[in-house]
Amino acid sequence: MKTLLKLNINGEDFDLAASPGAYLVDVIRETVGLTGTKKGCGIGDCGACTVLIDGRPTLSCLTLALACVGKEIVTIEGLSKGNELHPVQKAFIDKGAVQCGFCTPGMVLSAAALLRENDRPSRDEIKTALAGNLCRCTGYTKIVEAVEHAGQLISGEAHHG
Amino acid sequence: MHGQSFAYQRPGSLREFEALYASHGDNAKILAGGTDLLVLIKERLLAPRLLLDISDLPELKGIAYDPAAGLTIGAGVKVAEIERSALVKEHAPALAFAASNLGSNQVRWMATMAGNVCHASPAAETPPVLLAHGCELLIGSQAGERRLPIAEFFLAYRKTALKPGEYLKGFRLPPLAADAAVAYRLRGLRRAMEIDMINLGVYLRLEADGATAAEVRLAMGSVGPISYRAAATEEKLKGMTVDEAFLAAAAAGVAAEAAPIDDVRASADYRNRVVGVLARRGLTHCLEQIGSRRNKA
Repeated sequence: MKTLLKLNINGEDFDLAASPGAYLVDVIRETVGLTGTKKGCGIGDCGACTVLIDGRPTLSCLTLALACVGKEIVTIEGLSKGNELHPVQKAFIDKGAVQCGFCTPGMVLSAAALLRENDRPSRDEIKTALAGNLCRCTGYTKIVEAVEHAGQLISGEAHHG
Repeated sequence: MHGQSFAYQRPGSLREFEALYASHGDNAKILAGGTDLLVLIKERLLAPRLLLDISDLPELKGIAYDPAAGLTIGAGVKVAEIERSALVKEHAPALAFAASNLGSNQVRWMATMAGNVCHASPAAETPPVLLAHGCELLIGSQAGERRLPIAEFFLAYRKTALKPGEYLKGFRLPPLAADAAVAYRLRGLRRAMEIDMINLGVYLRLEADGATAAEVRLAMGSVGPISYRAAATEEKLKGMTVDEAFLAAAAAGVAAEAAPIDDVRASADYRNRVVGVLARRGLTHCLEQIGSRRNKA
């Protein structure tokens, strides 16, 4: 049986119906229709489904939708401010850090969460923060470079373009 | 494929949770982080009728330190909070280190140490450190609270001393004496996102002479059905002068008390060899910590 619930996604309230066993990733993709969040392994290993919940990188495939009532959910669609891309998004473009793109939304959100805590991460810190996001193209080198570059964009040491 | 049906409730207080948990018995499971529980449900290894979500209960939050009581950590505290806590880094740095080695960053922001302990996997990261600390578990139920040394908590593979209606409420790590330290050492197949093939928590307290072992705890993971202490070796090392012969005795002792199996992560033979190496490295790290504290004093 479905339950009515209100989810706040990217600053907007959505009145939805979902069963208690519904996972956040499925509600975001299928009920709300935001398909930027990807569903990979479904058991918390690949990180493709990463979203931010109250600012923390969270696996939406292992999160019940009902458990998110009253929390702020940010998906990849909500990271930019309108047309103004988030520094991590700009950096992924600058460094060519996207191949097939399936891991990219999760990578970008994990990186954004890292840079919010620490905008001068070392390469090891970047790798630790992204260890739960698997790139099936194995394009890690440019992703790590992009996160480093994003930190420099935030601190003004580098410029986009 | 994952369309299992269960009910979900988020009790508003600890009292309400205890009453619900007592009345639903085995039909209810506690949802804190969900990183183990929901995987087990998806893989149809568990089929609870009700999930009780305790992740937002304020009574289970918080990390505190008191010089007499030591470090207390609520069951609702996330692994990522333990990893980052200044109090944990100061008073139980090996626990912060073990926490930083658990799962991925996302998993650490979701999972609780209580879940890691209650799941009672012999490969879990935090139990060996907690065993080395001589941690006391605070166990709650509608009937009241009781305290249990963590050494008495793990009964068998994925079986704990929690009785029906009981839940893990928090952890207390007694304060470390000035001449004592805890270390954690692990071995995995990769540097992240792996399940340890072997891990070990070590506690060492020296006598006032700075050269004799007053008390040793050696807690091993992934070498048996539960995380457990090498009790005979600990007893043997007590009173010995801390030198090469001491380290050799510790290494040989844990290898003798380990009972590993061959599995996908490592062979029993490899584990038997490495557990001694980790004991040696852990004890050496304890000595370094005690030494650097003395130099500062």
